[in-house]
Amino acid sequence: MKFFHFNPQTQKKLRRFREIKRGYYSFIILMTFLVLSLFGEMLINNRALIVSYEGDLYFPTYADFHPGTDFGLDYPYEVNYRELSDKFEQEQSNNWVLMPVVPYSPYENDASTGIFRPEPPDATKKHYLGTDTTSRDILGRLFYGTRIALLFALGFMASVYFIGVAVGCAMGYFGGVFDIVTQRLIEIWSNIPFLYMVIIVFSIIPDTFTIAMRILILLSVMVLFSWTSMTYYMRTETYKEKVRDYVAAAVLIGSSNTRIVFKHILPNVLATLVTFMPFTIVSAISAITALDFLGFGLPPPTPSLGELLKQGTQTLRTAPWIVMSAFGTLVVLLTLVTFIGEAIRESFDPKKFTVYK
Amino acid sequence: MKEYKYFGTFALAAFTLVLAACGGDSGPASTVDESLDNTQEVQDFYAANPELFTFASMAELPTDLVWDDGMDQPEIGSPNAVKGGTYYEFLEDFPPTLRGIGPDSNSSARNWIKDNYQLTWAMAHPDTGEFYPGIAEAWSIVPEDNTVYIKINPASRWTDGEEITVDDAFFSFFFYLSDYVQAPFTTNYYRTEFTNITRYDDYTFSLTVPKVKPDMASRMLQIPPVPQHFYKEFGEDFPERYQWRYEPHAGAYYIDPDRINLGVNIVAERLDDWWAKDNKYFKYRFNPDRINMSVIRDTSKRYEAFRRGDLDIFRISTADMWYDNLPNDDPDVANGYIHKTVFYNGGPRSNWGLWMNSARPHLDNVEVRLGIQYAANWDLVLSNYFRGDLERLKTQDDGYGEFSHPTITARPFDIELAQQHFANAGFTERGPDGILVNAEGERLAFTLSTHYERLSDIFTILKEEAIKAGLEIRIEMMDGAAGFRKAQEKQHDMYFVSFSPFVFEMYPRMWAYYHCDNAYDQPFLEDGSVNPDRKPKPQTNNLQSFCVPGLDPLIEEYQDSDDAERMIELSHQILEAAYDYASFSPGFVEPFYRTAYWRWVKWPEYFNHKFTTYAYDQMIHWIDQDARDATMSARGNDEPFGAQIVTYDQFRAQ
Repeated sequence: MKFFHFNPQTQKKLRRFREIKRGYYSFIILMTFLVLSLFGEMLINNRALIVSYEGDLYFPTYADFHPGTDFGLDYPYEVNYRELSDKFEQEQSNNWVLMPVVPYSPYENDASTGIFRPEPPDATKKHYLGTDTTSRDILGRLFYGTRIALLFALGFMASVYFIGVAVGCAMGYFGGVFDIVTQRLIEIWSNIPFLYMVIIVFSIIPDTFTIAMRILILLSVMVLFSWTSMTYYMRTETYKEKVRDYVAAAVLIGSSNTRIVFKHILPNVLATLVTFMPFTIVSAISAITALDFLGFGLPPPTPSLGELLKQGTQTLRTAPWIVMSAFGTLVVLLTLVTFIGEAIRESFDPKKFTVYK
Repeated sequence: MKEYKYFGTFALAAFTLVLAACGGDSGPASTVDESLDNTQEVQDFYAANPELFTFASMAELPTDLVWDDGMDQPEIGSPNAVKGGTYYEFLEDFPPTLRGIGPDSNSSARNWIKDNYQLTWAMAHPDTGEFYPGIAEAWSIVPEDNTVYIKINPASRWTDGEEITVDDAFFSFFFYLSDYVQAPFTTNYYRTEFTNITRYDDYTFSLTVPKVKPDMASRMLQIPPVPQHFYKEFGEDFPERYQWRYEPHAGAYYIDPDRINLGVNIVAERLDDWWAKDNKYFKYRFNPDRINMSVIRDTSKRYEAFRRGDLDIFRISTADMWYDNLPNDDPDVANGYIHKTVFYNGGPRSNWGLWMNSARPHLDNVEVRLGIQYAANWDLVLSNYFRGDLERLKTQDDGYGEFSHPTITARPFDIELAQQHFANAGFTERGPDGILVNAEGERLAFTLSTHYERLSDIFTILKEEAIKAGLEIRIEMMDGAAGFRKAQEKQHDMYFVSFSPFVFEMYPRMWAYYHCDNAYDQPFLEDGSVNPDRKPKPQTNNLQSFCVPGLDPLIEEYQDSDDAERMIELSHQILEAAYDYASFSPGFVEPFYRTAYWRWVKWPEYFNHKFTTYAYDQMIHWIDQDARDATMSARGNDEPFGAQIVTYDQFRAQ
């Protein structure tokens, strides 16, 4: 924490945040998951971590694909490392394969009976949460689905705040005609129905775009229609701060507008900003899940919570583990974020002891 | 709370949709305006088109006509059938209109509004394919004159009790040829497929077509007349004026528009004194007194409604539904409250498969198309997704009897062969992700677009398997209308869809699928060479941009031929050319339909007739009201009746 020079007040707030155990631990758990998920390919993947073949070591996780012929198999497509592992074991050679904890990719169908259908959780097959309707590993899909949702939400939050804060502060700081005109524009803009826009935009995106590109476009559309709410808060806060003496002082010594807004005013309205962050994340996750559930979200076969939930509702009777996993994950995720949000709000509350009468 | 704003917007939008769909409980208004009468306009139209409308007398009727009354066909349905009870059905969505024609009339609900019960002049028998009388009492086909003579049954009545006469047959031409009707396809059909209608007396008329085809009879006999008295107000405002009026037809059920519960429920009631109720072919059909149709949009909800007993019949279309959701050891099935049936039917098959657009880059190379054929693992789809119940489609046109090709089968999944063909097209190296690339560094990747979200698992399987052959398939799941529009505008690489033929369609539609005219705007230059600047032609069903220059004369000959033998020969040649062109990857075919139904729904002992697409096509089932009560009380006490899981394979093709 030495990179930043937090003022004593901020340090006090951080200290208080740490004191609120529920939120603090939630934060630690979520961050741990986020960091872990960034290296998810080493935990849940059908590519081996290490293959030792004929004395050479291979690390296929992040490398180019290896055709079966690379490891003495007779096919030209990607090696099935699970089978390779079994083969090496049977041959009792010096070759070996180290697989990740869950040796399945979120995309591959692994049907033990040869029929694609949901199979219940089975630790011996390493399907710890069972499989979905086409026999794909649910844990894998949940893991990667959650990662996408979280990264999506973080990206969403960053973009919304960047635009919202900039526009909001400008409105509050400059005031006058600029404020009134921008406000009216925002009111008009925020009345465009967001769901329809998503549907329309998605129907005209060329299909040659990669999945990552499509996710990015979805993100942009959502940001485009969501940044407005942030401006209201920033505007009022800036109005409030603008008349303070320190701003007048900054103006007097000839600071530029940008400097005053971002260097002087922004740090003082940070509290408002920070308290909203977790809720923005919660709603971003809910929105992307809902869109997926309706079929307007991430393109298939991208793993996603919404898609799993949808599968789950269709197989309530026959495969309850699908809906339980997806629903459970969503509940845990949203609860963690909400706890964090609560803790942040409390730690940023200037009144430590509030008595309600 | 403000931070939930966009989510709130979305929730609000969803809620508004729900509200809009549910809006209103009272029946729709339908006032008749007595002041309007288009009789004169109709007469003027007849007078203005003397070549189309001929008024003759009985004396002019050819005397040597051989009348066919179709009374030699087997009966339809079972003598055990009992009338009465209510049959509970669902609607996928509430119909936007009660009209059978015009804007929005082609909704999923139209079958239950009218199509399932309406009669035409004569109808094709569901076992033999021969004709039996409907509104007509007899007919005579004279191929030399391109003419069919029809005698209307004087007993026939519209559902509102009015008599059906030749006037209604004449009026149907005024009706469908009019711009008011706003149905370009039908208008065009009437304009091009008929050259004359002649009136001899109130019950006798003839229809003439421009050219004779082997299935001429079905084209002329299987059209319904239009009730002239009902369309007195037919005019420019037809779509709005008749939006919620129920057009009379000759069938057994009618719907009272005033009793419709908009957005929720429609009830069709059987006519007590239906004119055809003692007719040989109708007396055992149309048995329930009422057909109660409720809107249930979601498949899983429909299933739950069925399990509760709110729906009588449930069509089982997927293997997991048959084996997992409603397994044979389910208490309701094992105790015999719910019966399960597999019925192998006959007739042309829906051609499920991948339609490759050969106008697209790389797909214009037959080697790439062949590679894709071998890289599409339909075998795995059949065994793992459909659990071995379905069969592989052989060609694009299966099930047309002799018209289908006798020996061609679909290409199997074969990585070696796929790679060979891809290599012939220049895709020799595998890129870092295992997908083949050519010398220019282009990846072998195509988009598979479709609107069949319920079958999305199939595409996932195809995608994962194609990677093994070095082919990337990008899946693009689209909304129904948008998806098919994309295919019709030839914007797709590959499209997954099927065209469902009519159950009595006699021979495949070659012109629509294979003719150059439907592939490109200007396929050839003046000198007959391929036009380098040709553009794919939008709005046709030639989704493959299929154009083989030498084939067009054969297709035209096929199109114009009245000789079934020659047509069969041509059909085989065309199908062979299509096989070599390799732009259609045949998927799967469902040679049966599966049904689950409650014990109180009764069927003939043979279950159903050969040419049916689903169990209720011919409306031969009946409801045993006593059994309904008995079953429900037995179910409460766990009393078993004995399981009934039957496969009817009398019509199964060997």
